[in-house]
Amino acid sequence: MTELTIKQLVVARGGIPVVRGIDLTVRSGEISVVLGSNGAGKTTSLEGISGIIPAKGAILLDGEDISGQAAGIRARRGLRHVEQGRTVFPEMTTEENLKVALAPGASLDEAYGLFPELVQRRDIKSAMLSGGEQQMLVIARALVGRPKVILIDEMSSGLAPVIVSRLMEAVRKLADGGMAVLLVEQFANLALGVGNRAYVLRRGAVVYNGGCEALLKDPARLHHLYLGDVADSVAMHA
Amino acid sequence: MKHASLKAALRTALTLGILAVLIYAFLPKYWIFLVTAIFITGIALQSLGLVTGRTGMISLCQMSFAGVGAWVTGYLNVAEAPGGLILWIVLGGLAAVPVGVVIGLPALRLRGINLAIVTLGFAAAFDTVLATITFPGQTAFIQVVRPSWFESDGGYFALVMIVYVAIAVALEFVNRSRLGASWLAVRHSERAAAAHGVSVPMAKLSAFAISAFISGVSGGLLAGYLGTLVAENFNMMQSLALFAVASMVGAHFTLGAVAGGAMITLFPELLRRLGLPQDIGNVFFAVGAVQAMSTGETISETWVRLGSKLASRFRRKPAAVAEPEVKTARPLGTPAVHQPGVALEVSGLTVRYGNVLALDKVSLKVPSRTVVGLIGPNGAGKSTTVDAIAGFLPRYEGSVSLNGGPLEGLLATERARLGVRRTWQTTRIAPELTVGDYIRLAAPGIRPAEIEAVLEWFDCPVPEAAIASVDAGSRRLIDVAGVVAARPPVLLLDEPAAGQSYAEALKLGDRIASIPEVFGSAVLLIEHDMDLVRKACSDITVFDFGRVIANGAPQTVLSSPIVQKAYMGVELEEQVA
Amino acid sequence: MNSLLTSAVAGLSAGGAYAILGVCAIFTYRLVAVVNFTGAAIGATGTFVMVALYESGVPLALAVPVGIVAGALAALAVGLVMATWFSGAAASTKAAVTAALLVGIIAVGLRLTGGQHPHNFPDLIPGSAFRLAGVEVTWAAVVTIAISVLFTFITEQFLARTQTGLELRALSQRPMAAELIGIRVKLLALSVWAVMGAVTAFALMVIAPQRAPDFMSLSLLVVPALAAALIGAFASFRAALAGGMAIGIIEGLASGLDTFSQYRGAIPFLVILAVLMWSQRGARFDEAR
Repeated sequence: MTELTIKQLVVARGGIPVVRGIDLTVRSGEISVVLGSNGAGKTTSLEGISGIIPAKGAILLDGEDISGQAAGIRARRGLRHVEQGRTVFPEMTTEENLKVALAPGASLDEAYGLFPELVQRRDIKSAMLSGGEQQMLVIARALVGRPKVILIDEMSSGLAPVIVSRLMEAVRKLADGGMAVLLVEQFANLALGVGNRAYVLRRGAVVYNGGCEALLKDPARLHHLYLGDVADSVAMHA
Repeated sequence: MKHASLKAALRTALTLGILAVLIYAFLPKYWIFLVTAIFITGIALQSLGLVTGRTGMISLCQMSFAGVGAWVTGYLNVAEAPGGLILWIVLGGLAAVPVGVVIGLPALRLRGINLAIVTLGFAAAFDTVLATITFPGQTAFIQVVRPSWFESDGGYFALVMIVYVAIAVALEFVNRSRLGASWLAVRHSERAAAAHGVSVPMAKLSAFAISAFISGVSGGLLAGYLGTLVAENFNMMQSLALFAVASMVGAHFTLGAVAGGAMITLFPELLRRLGLPQDIGNVFFAVGAVQAMSTGETISETWVRLGSKLASRFRRKPAAVAEPEVKTARPLGTPAVHQPGVALEVSGLTVRYGNVLALDKVSLKVPSRTVVGLIGPNGAGKSTTVDAIAGFLPRYEGSVSLNGGPLEGLLATERARLGVRRTWQTTRIAPELTVGDYIRLAAPGIRPAEIEAVLEWFDCPVPEAAIASVDAGSRRLIDVAGVVAARPPVLLLDEPAAGQSYAEALKLGDRIASIPEVFGSAVLLIEHDMDLVRKACSDITVFDFGRVIANGAPQTVLSSPIVQKAYMGVELEEQVA
Repeated sequence: MNSLLTSAVAGLSAGGAYAILGVCAIFTYRLVAVVNFTGAAIGATGTFVMVALYESGVPLALAVPVGIVAGALAALAVGLVMATWFSGAAASTKAAVTAALLVGIIAVGLRLTGGQHPHNFPDLIPGSAFRLAGVEVTWAAVVTIAISVLFTFITEQFLARTQTGLELRALSQRPMAAELIGIRVKLLALSVWAVMGAVTAFALMVIAPQRAPDFMSLSLLVVPALAAALIGAFASFRAALAGGMAIGIIEGLASGLDTFSQYRGAIPFLVILAVLMWSQRGARFDEAR
């Protein structure tokens, strides 16, 4: 049983505090969804958690604060950050991308089991894969590292809805297999459909924290949280 | 500002003048001779500071430029050319200019590593050539003749000081001019410099040309100082050591150039007196340079920082509590009058990155004196559109026109000069500038009163404030204030409110909404905060997957199902069906 | 005509040296993203350690391996500086740092080796391999060329076929993504430096007797080395290999022509200028900024 708890995370980007003190929790077998429009601080939060950029606040992995450690050490402790923008190793084949990340005892079959689509593309340079395939590859690459927690950033961007829902289903499988998943998404409905707990960020702060199902059933509220309108938002910030 | 340049120049001249008189009056002859070398090296360091410290181009052949100057001076001496040493030195400096320009040519396209390799290669080549052709008069031991006024060591010291002050004062003026600001801008971001209408090639070449001239002058002075020269005075190691010292001390500061000259000259002297081998000075310089580069702070900057810290400790909270100024809004002047009708028109714009279609035949119009919003989810192609309009993409299909005139075939710099101005998602202001310098860079020819008025209108810091001391949120406002101050026909603002708090963002929205009325410009605004968009825009265009999916008045567009779907994803039910 | 060929063949030995140094420069740039101005100086360090041991009576069979280890250690020291303080720095900053380090290394090297003081350089690989166009082609030249070909071949195979090779490629293509999947980035980077140092040290030991064998001259071989690397666009080992050979041969040709022979040291510069003008013809801005 793994639990990742974030307390009072503050992350600045180029001197600007983009994440202004947020709390998040992810547990094994669950998907915590982080929503919010662009510029809300979602990506920056993940970068602070995985150690790409320095952050203040506590990052507790199974009770131990890893916030002082370098990104590489956090990764070896069982944190995998699937970055935005499908960061495949472009000059390497699909299979090489997976092999390089293989944890001792893990097998490529785990990756191909999650995404059978990749089997026939195994010897293709990953730069030549479609966007959807690249996204599958980076998720699979994280999986074969046998992490405890996986952070996925904006996997849907620029992908057709049918592929996005295919990816969502795979991410659900990861969680059902016992992994803790922190899923950052701009597209709320699909993510809420597979997630357990939801957080909505706005301008670096958590403005909603509750169950996914409740939010999904209240589209008016979601609309307000996202597209806002002046009176509502001012009240919220007051 | 002329006033500030004059003040700084006077201060520099006065300080150096007093220093020179003190040295002349109190130091023994041997030391005056030694100090002369400090200032000759200081001139070479100033030249390197200009090209490397200020403009950010690595030059590893600065002593070769000095060698050209020295060789020409020596040649004119042997040829007994008329005019005497001072004229020869100037001619030597001028002779180095074309050499500097040729070396600078590869820097027009790219800088950094390639330039470092080119300049080191040139230093090596120059070594070979100089070893072969030798210095004029070197074999016959013909001394360079000093002018009669400056013949003694004391006199020559005076000459060197005069030249040093002349160069320092001239640089003081140039550095505060738009040219000087453009060097810093190029160092910090070439694309951002081009977006201000700065010609990047001109900025780079002028830096190299002026730098080569100054370096050539230092070589000529060295010829007069030593009388006869050998190739070793200018070899590659000298250039490399000069580079290390410049990186360590910060040779683009007056203080740094003098300090560096002192180190290069006095360190061997000190080691000699201690009975240590003189060449270990270079080890010290190398370590110092690496240290400075790892912290990003040169010795000059450290001294200035510590100095001001010390000064503030002695001062008992002086002007910090400023007198409550009665704010009278300064006049902004009348809005610029641009051609009415459609200011910016984009039609059928298509952009491909490899196999990816980033923009697919998008069209949009920005009527003059209006604010149009451009929104859409991540990766929809908004910033790509701005890049295409402003001329930062190597190729695109379709057309972009300003006031009916097509912009195709024009480079970013030319488009900016015509009046298509943009800001960037991340601030790209050179931190070494002051706020006022930056506004002048962005809006050439603007009057001081107007600078203050524009800054005040955007709640920005005062013109005298250094960018480095301004918080990141205010820098973004300064970014916007700069392009607005230029009052161009079209402004492209790329997420100006990123990183602002909610209240600040709404306030900025109000300001942007009144840009057309107050300054006369039309605005294309990319923004994610819908509240800001509603406040600022009279019309919005929505992108998704590189296509226009909606267009119209904000309230209508934002409540349309297709836009909500683009933002929040498809409904789950649809997917199941 | 024949005399031209003779001059060209005479340039082979220098060409081999430039080729191996150029290949090493690309090796460093591709795998740890540093344009390294200290490459030849690192090799010179190892070479002079070997010479010092040899001069004090240590047999070559021991002096050479110790020299190679010394080269690896020198490279490791530079690599440690780069990995510790400059891992996230811009490419031009890293290049500037190595240029500054070069100043220090040469100063120390000259001090410890007695400046231009002549040293007794052993011919590691003595004798002439064969005659070509009336010129003795030395074994040293043949071996240097062979090392550069072999190093290129082994590097390419290693990168393609081993797990560590995969990790190195991942590191070079996307350092951050590599770190995020748990690859030991710093350890790998330091290994790259060590290998580069060892290879350069051995190569310079072979070449040294044919060059002006003082510490500074050997260190400044970095200029033709970087010219060769530029021909390979800092990417292609094979192009750099060919480029290094070509520079050597052109230098040989220039030496054969009386009017040019004294200016042959300027040839790498002309090559650099030509290559840059050609390769950058389409570029407009520094894309990274």
